[in-house]
Amino acid sequence: MKHILQINNLCKNYNNIKAINNISLTVKKNEVYGLLGPNGSGKTTTLGVILDVLKANGGNYKWFDNNKSSRHKIGSLLETPNFYPYLTLYENLKIVATIKNAPEKDIIYSLGVTNLLTRKHSKFSNLSLGMKQRLALASTLIGNPEVLVLDEPTNGLDPEGITDVRNIIKAEAAKGKTIILASHILDEVEKVCSHVGILKSGKLIANGKVKELLNSNDLLYLNSENNETLLKLIKKSDMVSNIVETKPEIIITLNNNYKASDFNEYAFNNGVILNTILTKQVSLEKQFLELVK
Amino acid sequence: MKKLFVIEKIKTLSYPSFISLIVIHFILFLIVTLVINRIQFSAPGFSIHDLYKFPNVFKFIPWIASWFNIFLAIIIILLVGNEFTYRTFKQNVIDGLERTDLILGKLIVIFSIAIYSLVLVTISSLIFGFINTKDVYFGLIFQNSNILIVYFIQAIAYMSLGMLFALLFKNNALSIILFLLYSFPTEPIIRSFFSENIRQYFPIKIISNLTPKPEIFNLQQSANFHSPSGDNFINIQGMNIVPEQLSLQSTTVIAIAYILFFITISIFIMKKRNL
Repeated sequence: MKHILQINNLCKNYNNIKAINNISLTVKKNEVYGLLGPNGSGKTTTLGVILDVLKANGGNYKWFDNNKSSRHKIGSLLETPNFYPYLTLYENLKIVATIKNAPEKDIIYSLGVTNLLTRKHSKFSNLSLGMKQRLALASTLIGNPEVLVLDEPTNGLDPEGITDVRNIIKAEAAKGKTIILASHILDEVEKVCSHVGILKSGKLIANGKVKELLNSNDLLYLNSENNETLLKLIKKSDMVSNIVETKPEIIITLNNNYKASDFNEYAFNNGVILNTILTKQVSLEKQFLELVK
Repeated sequence: MKKLFVIEKIKTLSYPSFISLIVIHFILFLIVTLVINRIQFSAPGFSIHDLYKFPNVFKFIPWIASWFNIFLAIIIILLVGNEFTYRTFKQNVIDGLERTDLILGKLIVIFSIAIYSLVLVTISSLIFGFINTKDVYFGLIFQNSNILIVYFIQAIAYMSLGMLFALLFKNNALSIILFLLYSFPTEPIIRSFFSENIRQYFPIKIISNLTPKPEIFNLQQSANFHSPSGDNFINIQGMNIVPEQLSLQSTTVIAIAYILFFITISIFIMKKRNL
């Protein structure tokens, strides 16, 4: 079995609003797949459908090649943590462990990993928001699932908590787990994920490896003795994906696989000698905004 | 099934309001049965204390207990409604339970509460029967005891209907109000538009008819009250106090059918709904 999750043309409407619109993607074993998008792009709705909390209006999805016993192999955190306020942390996780046929020692393990062991007899209603989020993460680890589905797992956490969660995700990924992580935080996806799908208004607009999609393509600042000729040359070239005309430079973005030296050679071969060829990195945020604008 | 039992046990027994409501139910039932037992009323050939003797006690005590079945239904409404309030039905599905399991789990709670109520009624009946009956013999003790099973079915029926209301409306307060309003006066009003033959098949009518009337109401053959002048007329049959033509066996079968219907609709709703 190669594919952990296959989604085919998935659609979900809320009255006249298409929350997700023909989404198709595949998550393979051992990938850390980020579902990235701004608020309202359909990340949580997509996860809700594949976790059987929401009913799709079209399309289908398949976990573990449709193995009926697969639900127990998935540990999930969707939206806000939902537990019984009058039960203790231990009792809430006992329910999860019973559902997943997991041993009780998993409860102690997951509470330990999320630094909640000292509060195991506290009632859920007495926890802070950050602790509730950590409990939700703890519940996903019960039963040592093969897949973790995490929707904004660092919501409500302080910086230390955020670091802890990211370290947990990386540690679980290192154990060979497949992780699906929905987030609107670019930095989080870049640091943690190997693959990413970018959602905008319910549509999957980009899908692939993080390094390819969110690669910080460099900006080249160019200047020559004849910028008019240079500009014509740039417009003819297949190497260039974006042009910004400023004074005194012309700023270009090269397509993937091309380097500054490639363009310099191209310019030279066409009779244009560059006085200035300056490389600057684009911020990740600008890359993402470029994709979703 | 054992898994669901464990899960519901954790959820239910630790819910503070559940314990309080069961204790209130227990105390109210005992108080009412004790108070009635203390009433000094007798007529030629009849005494209140006759109702507490074998075999009448097995008809009378379940009849009193049936007044509190709506209370048990409200407990179920709260337990189901809380799952929507806390969004824990959703979490249970996310964690791996099937949607059908959510209903089966609540059915386990319904059966457990019905068993508690049955045990309460049985023990109360036996105690009152032994105290108030002079010449007790084995056959006399268990005469009419089949009513206990019918009472058990009645408790399940009310609670299943309560569960359905909770699933339909999700909000505790709204579900309870609508359930009570449906039980009285909505269904009686709707029934009044139909003929006698159809009226007796409505769900609340069927369910309430499961527990037998006390013998005292047999004195009212026409089931009517008249004022001393004979002018005023009140039909008490339409108020669910006096059962009508269907036999207890038929009523029981139809009540079981209604239980299965409520459960089926509940499962259908749970399978189709976005959580």
